[in-house]
Amino acid sequence: MAITEEPLALASGGASNVERPLGALTRPKGGNGWRDWLSTVDHKKIGIMYGVAAMFFFVVGGVEALLIRVQLAAPEGQVLSAEVYNQVFTMHGVTMVFLFIMPLAAAFANYLIPLQIGARDVAFPRLNALSFWVWISGAVFLNSSWIVGGGGADCGWFCYSPNSGLAFSPSHGVDFYALGLQIAGIASLVSAINLIVTVLNMRAPGMSLFRMPVLTWMLLVTQFLLLFAIPVITVALFLLMFDRLFDAQFFNPETGGDPLLWQHLFWIFGHPEVYIIILPAFGVISEIIPTFSRKPLFGYSFMVFSGIAIGFMGWGVWAHHMFVSGIGPFSVAAFSLSTMFIAVPTGVKILNWLATMWGGKLRFTTAMLFSVGTVAMFTIGGLSGVTHSLAPADTQQTDTYYIVAHFHYVIFGGGVLGLMGGLYFWWPKVFGHMLNETLGKVHFWVMLIGFNLTFGPMHILGLQGMSRRIDTYSPGFGFEFWNMVATIGSFTIALSVLVFFFNVWKSRRDAPNLPAPGPDPWDARSLEWMIPSPTPEHNFDTVPTVEGLDEWWHRKYGYDEDKRVVRIATIEEAAQDGSAQGVHLPAPSFWPLVLALGLPIIGYGLIFNLWLCVVGGALAGLAVYSWALEPVDDPDADHGHDDHHDDSDGDGDGAEGGE
Amino acid sequence: MSTATVESHDTPTDHNDHGTSTGISNTKLAMWTFLGSECLLFGGLISTYLLYKTRRGPGPDNTAIPTDIFDIPFTSVSSFVLLMSSLTMVLALSALTRGDNPATRAWLLATAMLGGVFIGGQVYEFTSFLREGVGFTHNPASSAFYTLTGFHGVHVSLGIVMLMSLFVASKQGKLTPKHTETVEIVGLYWHFVDVVWIFIFTVIYLIPVE
Amino acid sequence: MPNTLTETTTVSDMFKIRGRLPGVGLLLLFGLLAAGCASDAELDTLDPQSEVAETIWNLAFPVFILAGVVLVLICGAVLYLALKHGVRTYEGDDEFPEQISHNNSLEIAWTIVPALIMAAIGVFTIITHIDINGTDDNSITIDVAGESVEWEPTIVVVGQQWWWEYRYYLDGSQIETADLGDPRDLPPADIVTSGQFAFPTGTEVELIITSRDVIHSHKIPALNGTRDAVPGRYTPWKIEANGPGVYFGQCSEFCGLSHSRMRMQAVAMTDDDFQAWIDMQMSDATFDESLQGYVDAYRETGVGSVDDVENDALRGLDVFTTQCASCHLVGGLNDLVNGEAYDGADTLAGSAPNLTHLANNTTFAGGLFNLYNNEDGSLNRDDLAAWIRDPNAVKANRANDLPDGVLPRGMPARNLSERQINDVIAFLETLGPRPTDERIAATEVE
Repeated sequence: MAITEEPLALASGGASNVERPLGALTRPKGGNGWRDWLSTVDHKKIGIMYGVAAMFFFVVGGVEALLIRVQLAAPEGQVLSAEVYNQVFTMHGVTMVFLFIMPLAAAFANYLIPLQIGARDVAFPRLNALSFWVWISGAVFLNSSWIVGGGGADCGWFCYSPNSGLAFSPSHGVDFYALGLQIAGIASLVSAINLIVTVLNMRAPGMSLFRMPVLTWMLLVTQFLLLFAIPVITVALFLLMFDRLFDAQFFNPETGGDPLLWQHLFWIFGHPEVYIIILPAFGVISEIIPTFSRKPLFGYSFMVFSGIAIGFMGWGVWAHHMFVSGIGPFSVAAFSLSTMFIAVPTGVKILNWLATMWGGKLRFTTAMLFSVGTVAMFTIGGLSGVTHSLAPADTQQTDTYYIVAHFHYVIFGGGVLGLMGGLYFWWPKVFGHMLNETLGKVHFWVMLIGFNLTFGPMHILGLQGMSRRIDTYSPGFGFEFWNMVATIGSFTIALSVLVFFFNVWKSRRDAPNLPAPGPDPWDARSLEWMIPSPTPEHNFDTVPTVEGLDEWWHRKYGYDEDKRVVRIATIEEAAQDGSAQGVHLPAPSFWPLVLALGLPIIGYGLIFNLWLCVVGGALAGLAVYSWALEPVDDPDADHGHDDHHDDSDGDGDGAEGGE
Repeated sequence: MSTATVESHDTPTDHNDHGTSTGISNTKLAMWTFLGSECLLFGGLISTYLLYKTRRGPGPDNTAIPTDIFDIPFTSVSSFVLLMSSLTMVLALSALTRGDNPATRAWLLATAMLGGVFIGGQVYEFTSFLREGVGFTHNPASSAFYTLTGFHGVHVSLGIVMLMSLFVASKQGKLTPKHTETVEIVGLYWHFVDVVWIFIFTVIYLIPVE
Repeated sequence: MPNTLTETTTVSDMFKIRGRLPGVGLLLLFGLLAAGCASDAELDTLDPQSEVAETIWNLAFPVFILAGVVLVLICGAVLYLALKHGVRTYEGDDEFPEQISHNNSLEIAWTIVPALIMAAIGVFTIITHIDINGTDDNSITIDVAGESVEWEPTIVVVGQQWWWEYRYYLDGSQIETADLGDPRDLPPADIVTSGQFAFPTGTEVELIITSRDVIHSHKIPALNGTRDAVPGRYTPWKIEANGPGVYFGQCSEFCGLSHSRMRMQAVAMTDDDFQAWIDMQMSDATFDESLQGYVDAYRETGVGSVDDVENDALRGLDVFTTQCASCHLVGGLNDLVNGEAYDGADTLAGSAPNLTHLANNTTFAGGLFNLYNNEDGSLNRDDLAAWIRDPNAVKANRANDLPDGVLPRGMPARNLSERQINDVIAFLETLGPRPTDERIAATEVE
């Protein structure tokens, strides 16, 4: 919408002093201090910030989980009152979904997509920064309800009406929930648009869609899911806030409001949401397993198409969350069948991963352990999901701990384990040193054992009739033993997380004394491994021309007459050395941060004092205009994307063909 | 695509159309993507209205729903006004392409003003409903009606802001034929808002309620 | 030239098992699952005691087995591949396995086969689904106030924070949702109970489930699955039992503070016992002659006098009429007082449990506490006194210290003295008759 949409240019290769003020506004310079991080538009720094913040909220959500488990370790627990328990379990769910796993996946998406497609940054770098700052301000706003809101939200992460209405939830917790998620939703939507345009428009020459790595494909499908799902929960949250703030009549049964409207809107978002959570992990392990099997991913086409199929079919199953809500037997039957069929593309992937390992040479690095663990744990979760899809059986399973077991197996066992593997795999690329493998293996095994100890027994508890979302249970129903086991398991998970953080600290401390990992420590397959570790600011010296799938692999290895793999170039020969100078990169900006700060102020205003809305709105408006008008530092600069192509035809002009 | 890279360095905007894997510029693709998400936003709001449009609430005080008090002829006129604004938008783009800056400004202003007339009509309609007791909090039907049309109105208003920004830029001499794509993208948004209104008008006003 | 492809730390030898543990863990899990049928698990879903629950189980059980088989196969494959193909390091460049990248026929096959399996499961699912959602249109003959009536068994189940109400309409025609209107203003019923409901064994009883405030969910795992109680809607379901007994349930939709303490019991009875139960429930409370004078005066004028201060139950009756009768209905006492009919409770849901035959229940406070001790059948005075003293302390609610204009959700503390509490318990004890020893013994909720 701005006129000055031309991208901004700042020569890379160190901080330079470009100041061409237009009026009073200038662009910040690059650098490394805290100001640089606040104004960065570099997708890599933004990815790192998402990752760090996500791991922080993992701890927050994990503490909430430990509180739950301490309360439920024994019957008639007195550790948390019912009131506080309801806040803790609500915030645990909201934190883990919106403040941990989604931003952790965003970290991977932001860091890796441009690298995997051979681009220098995303399509809209300032918008990318905006997404991060908006998300984190939403996250802080949401959690500020503990301090200024009289406690956390207490309606459950799903926040069903009428319980979410003023009559039944008079405290501000639900207001913080709704407004916090609205703010975070803006971040996801903007990021989805950004990444879709990036993937569709900014691929390196020769990189057709079907030569993209599976991770990029899964992330692309995830962005489309976000694009279409976020608006639906946006509507739901607006309706909820209008009811609470302005006495609208959307969810008041006394005047004809339908509580099921909330459920439909929430789950039309909520079901694609779970695929938003899992597809990035599927993509991650689809990169790791082939690398450590020394074979290509088995069935690339099927993997891509099954991911797309999951993306489409995920829209047709939402009411399986509502089987017993009274939607009528015809609807129940239809959604039961559609839910059964979505197991097919998911199951296909499991078989493809196994077939990749089949006949391979498997090296169980930490990343590989996590990836294989993902396959096994997600299979368990997927199978319990299949048992839910039978609507009659679900009448005994729904709202019990059997469901809690299912979704933790798919989200934690599938999503978290997968992304943890990704952290170990790409850590050297991001930070220039490896995470310690021994500690990594300890992390994996302790986490796997703890995870199974925690959530495995929940299958039993659920089938024995333990309802979910209960702050305590009575003795004599047979729930005591497995609850205690689950609590022990949860602390085991916590221990494994401590091992991980210790690993992070220790690896960084030991890094100067260990050999550098180089561009490709794992002998991997995709383009991010052909550039130095850590990634240079400009990503690629020259944008590679892509001739096939697993382009980087094929620059290292070819086939001899007997179709055996032979090396055709060493990593050092084929990789780029990061020494390019004068590559034009987008210039930093503070306005995304300023705009993002306006939003929670509007939120506080809606809750406490409408004048704050004016302040927040003015700040956001000022930021928008300043953003639009801020100077392009170098109006004659090129868009970085076209610079420095491979000079593959040797005519010295960086372009292919007969020019 | 790669053969075009050499010439594309000359003018900043040209690179937008070459050097992208799809051939559409990043900004235009972004607008199309954004409009895709907007379909779901309005879809959710329209579905809510469809569910609630006959829900009058209990008791004698809550009987009136918006459908009872629509003034179809009036709303048809304001719908026509909005439709005409899409025409003026196209004319503005075409004027800019020709390099006719005064005409560009005139058509941009016309578009914005027609949008403003539409908004004015909405405001008049809402206040007259309010006078008849059908306010936002009256019953589910009215809450859904105001939310749906209100969101649409906000979108139109933001569009007017964008159009006036373009007008001002043109007045300052900053809107040149190099910037046709910017106007085209604003036009995309404006046409979308118009098409959404066609849906809303049909669904809310024209489809009869028993 | 850095070579990070070798791994020589001896510690890694400790982890030779590599992919083994996931498989072991899973087999263990499966075994545990199978062993999960504890004996004292009254909410167990794996022990069906009715045709509905058995039908569900007949579908679920084979699919659990199939899932278990698939699980073992997949995890077995993981283990097998890890053991067979695992290597410690990659030495040199010639360690490449055959670079098979796809096999279209295989992939198509393993897409179609699972799809066919799901389709088959789908067929059985739909058959079961139609079965459990169908209704019998049966009727039974019962005696209502001396008249023989053909009753199509239907119970209206009403959830509210945090207890269940059960309403029986026995006039012969089946109650339809169209007759019911606003759940807060239901037509007068022949029988109203709370916390426990009775029905005859071997008979399919229709349930019409609704709520007066937020969404709850009614589930008796041994007999039927769960069905939501949604305010503003009436949701059909059904229940039946193969044999007489007390079957336990718990609310299964998060409904706020005391969701965990919102319970109920379904009491299946022989036909004779059920008839006796109907007769008892349809009658008003009977009062000892020492209380009758007070009752008559109270009904006439709205005030009664305690003419014998030594009579605990009489003093308790006085406490009841002054402290409890504004919410709780006792038929024959405050259904009609000084010309005014009882018109519901001053709570947000507009209702409070009907206490006419409280002492005939075996639980109280929303199915939460035993009313009678299992060991000796004596009244559970401690829990009852604690409940009356301060309900919020034993079952969190929103009924005390409320801002003006906010109606309570749950029972408020009435700040009674210990003597008053004992007295009112003495009175409540008379609201019988006392249940059978069998039913007391079968009800063990704590």
